[in-house]
Amino acid sequence: MNTLLKQSILALCGMLSLCAGALAADGQLKLPEFGGLSDKASEVVTITLDPALLGLAARFLDPAKPEDAAVREAIAGIKGIYVRKYVFDTDFVYPQADVESVRKQLSAPGWQRLVEVRSRKEQQKVDIYLLVEQERANGLAIIASQPREFTIVNIVGSIDMKKLHELEGQFGIPKLELEQKK
Amino acid sequence: MSKDFEQQLREALRPVDPEEGFELRVMARIARERSRARTKVTRWVSVALAASVVFAAFLGAHQWQLRREQEGLEARKQLIEALRLTGEKLDIAYQAVNREAPEPADDGSGA
Repeated sequence: MNTLLKQSILALCGMLSLCAGALAADGQLKLPEFGGLSDKASEVVTITLDPALLGLAARFLDPAKPEDAAVREAIAGIKGIYVRKYVFDTDFVYPQADVESVRKQLSAPGWQRLVEVRSRKEQQKVDIYLLVEQERANGLAIIASQPREFTIVNIVGSIDMKKLHELEGQFGIPKLELEQKK
Repeated sequence: MSKDFEQQLREALRPVDPEEGFELRVMARIARERSRARTKVTRWVSVALAASVVFAAFLGAHQWQLRREQEGLEARKQLIEALRLTGEKLDIAYQAVNREAPEPADDGSGA
């Protein structure tokens, strides 16, 4: 009886880890709850756009307007966008372990670190990861942390970086100055 | 003359037994009238009820549409904010990468 119970538990654990693997494989990160941080933060941005909400948002983008049309194109293959941003008035109020736990998820197979920025002066860390599957970007993760703020961005789905790039300069999206140094 | 008139009056006002089934007919008519009145009220109540249902459905649909529109606009706002934040962080990274990247070698042409 005991053996049967153990086997059942092992099978259940196996199934759960498979599910967790599948979750990671589709590019969606498990973001911590960050419970209680809202009270300490001076600014909180929590954005959870699942496929249904993304579809709804897309319906409110006017295809006749070029900037809206560009957004529609940029999000065409995207299944979800999840953003957490917290800004504080004092240094390191937030549990860095929570942010690190997200970083750890990005060591899973498929995720590739595209950019790693470490600024000692501003104590800033920015990491950009791409989930590459069959030579396609199927997920994007950005983890940016500073003493008084951290931001986690997780975009799930097929990402066309070129189309994302085309959004620069619109809706307050900063214009990247990549081409200037050519 | 006066006696004749009295006689005629008495004749006219003499008690007469109602025809057979008179009471039944009266009672049946009362019942019919009551039923007709009840049907009329029921019909009006039904019409009012149907109108209320249609109005409530219209109001509900309108409210749902309004709520959906608000949710859509909020989702759009969130989408733009998410893209703005993504762009902001990509910008920091690209700027840092650009700072790190070596300047292109000067070919000495002085151009």
